[in-house]
Amino acid sequence: MTATQPQFVLAAVIASLFALGTFLVLRRDIVRVVWGVSIISQAANMYLVTMGGFAGSVPILGHGGGHGGEAAVTDPLVQALVLTAIVIGFGTTAFALVLTYRVYEEHGTIDLFELGDRA
Amino acid sequence: MNQMVIAPLLVALVTAIATLLTRRFNRVQVALSLAGGLGYVAAVYALVADVDPLGAANTFSYQLSGWVAPYGITLVADSLSAFMLSFSALISLGALAYSTVYVDAFGQRVSYHPLYHFMMVGVTGSFLTGDIFNLFVWFEVMLMSSYVLVVFYSGPQHTRAALQYVVLNLVGSAVMLLAIGGLYSTTGTLNMADLAQLLQSGGTAPAPVLGLSALLFAVFALKAGLVPFQFWVPAAYRAAPAPVSAMLAGVVKKVGVYAIVRLYFTIFSAATIGELALPGFSGDSLLAFYGPILFAMATASILVGGFGAVGRDDIDGLLAYSSIGQVGFIVLPLAIAATSGDSTIQTLGVAAALVYALNHGFAKGLLFLASGAVYDTVGTTEFPDLGGLSEKAPVLSGSFFVGALALIGIPPLSGFFGKLLVFDAAGRAGSNLALAVALVGAILTIAYFSRAWNRGFWGEPSLLVQHGDSRVSLVAVVLLLAVAIVVLGIGFDVVYRAAEAGANAALDRQAYIDSVLQGGEHA
Repeated sequence: MTATQPQFVLAAVIASLFALGTFLVLRRDIVRVVWGVSIISQAANMYLVTMGGFAGSVPILGHGGGHGGEAAVTDPLVQALVLTAIVIGFGTTAFALVLTYRVYEEHGTIDLFELGDRA
Repeated sequence: MNQMVIAPLLVALVTAIATLLTRRFNRVQVALSLAGGLGYVAAVYALVADVDPLGAANTFSYQLSGWVAPYGITLVADSLSAFMLSFSALISLGALAYSTVYVDAFGQRVSYHPLYHFMMVGVTGSFLTGDIFNLFVWFEVMLMSSYVLVVFYSGPQHTRAALQYVVLNLVGSAVMLLAIGGLYSTTGTLNMADLAQLLQSGGTAPAPVLGLSALLFAVFALKAGLVPFQFWVPAAYRAAPAPVSAMLAGVVKKVGVYAIVRLYFTIFSAATIGELALPGFSGDSLLAFYGPILFAMATASILVGGFGAVGRDDIDGLLAYSSIGQVGFIVLPLAIAATSGDSTIQTLGVAAALVYALNHGFAKGLLFLASGAVYDTVGTTEFPDLGGLSEKAPVLSGSFFVGALALIGIPPLSGFFGKLLVFDAAGRAGSNLALAVALVGAILTIAYFSRAWNRGFWGEPSLLVQHGDSRVSLVAVVLLLAVAIVVLGIGFDVVYRAAEAGANAALDRQAYIDSVLQGGEHA
């Protein structure tokens, strides 16, 4: 049971992050939309880590001689995947923020509703 | 193991970096960019010659850093990737040559060339990768560049369109990540060939694979711009510079189509979901589940795109909606192939989709470039301000006409064979509904192009048109693409055999598995 419990906690956390992200993406304020998108992508990253499971010992057995003995190792691959996804996320979030600033410069507002009216 | 597999990727990457480094020296940058574009075409055709889709139809896999197949990242070149790459390379070279004249000097100096080549890196990587997480990474490389290219002019409409495009694709990326993570958790592999083998052996639970593949499917449909994920298309295409729209419609959309063919016809079709009782679902293969979905999306795309295009008042908007409809035409034979269990109809369907993808790539690329040249000449692409272009710019108008005829499907052009194969596949599968949809789509295509021709190109030249002056170099690229379409139509035998080889490669799962997994062992 101890091995599975963190997964339930994580499932709940991921679910609430997705809910929060979706809520923010549907806002009128562009900054909140960008927040929402980055929260959704972080939730996806957390989901990816969770998919590896937390049943085993640390992935790096070489350091410290692997105190877990014969215990299984937590899947290190998903952590590599998440690192890649986080780096990509940095880039896209930065771009989205620059774009938000640009929208403010062009239109003088970051309200999507007003943007729609003026076009 | 064949080193040529990474050649196109490396050429595009090196060119992107070289143009980034030389951005202070405009002429050097443009020269390097064009040389890189030519080198890319050369690298692609060297790879295609090795794959030899018309003869041996080899499948090469390349294990990055020499890590063997299921553990490392694999790049795979087979007849399907070769087909997609070979036409994408030609269109990208045309659009690149066009943009060296069309995009102003300041724009070129800032970032245009590096972004363009990074986008090609992403496109090439997506066509070649044999790993689903790696596919996500290449999609991101491609999309990141395309975000900036869509917002390139940074006017009010452009930032709005780009914002919509960016947010939508970011959410799409998160969904793709979810689906990939779930698939990894369910099957324990990311390598496509390994995944296919695992699904084939039937050791995995069918329900999560079905659900996750459907989630992934939504992302690919978004990239391909299929209804109901089409709403970003018109704004983004109108905002982007003409050569970028040509690339987005001609090449980037095809990456979504390619991903659908590769993953659902080669990989996921290995799974059987016999014990799941779903309404309207027949057959054992997971592929059959996607048949009706693809059909509904194709039908909706053809209708929405067709009717949308008929109602547009500017050339760019018309072309953008037409592009939604034409992607429907690409997916329609795929739907027929997915539903049919017969292997000849499957091959025919996939081959028809590939031929149509090639035709749409060339024709829509040409039309967007022609629309850009019209804008360059007249200063607008709104029909009320146009008229009489055929008198003022006969070569440009003639090329536009060829592109329009290719999409309508007039005999000597490549589009005729595309349409013929779609009708043939529908007829052989005995699907009257598909025939009717294709017919309605064809009529709508004729309607909106004759409307465009009548209002924009025929009649008395308007005041704006009379004072316009077209640039020879822009028209030359458009003309070359028009010639290419005619040549492809006349030499259609070669195109069809290549498409058929591509379809066979897409459907021959065992060859794909063997090549990737065995190739890894002998590396």
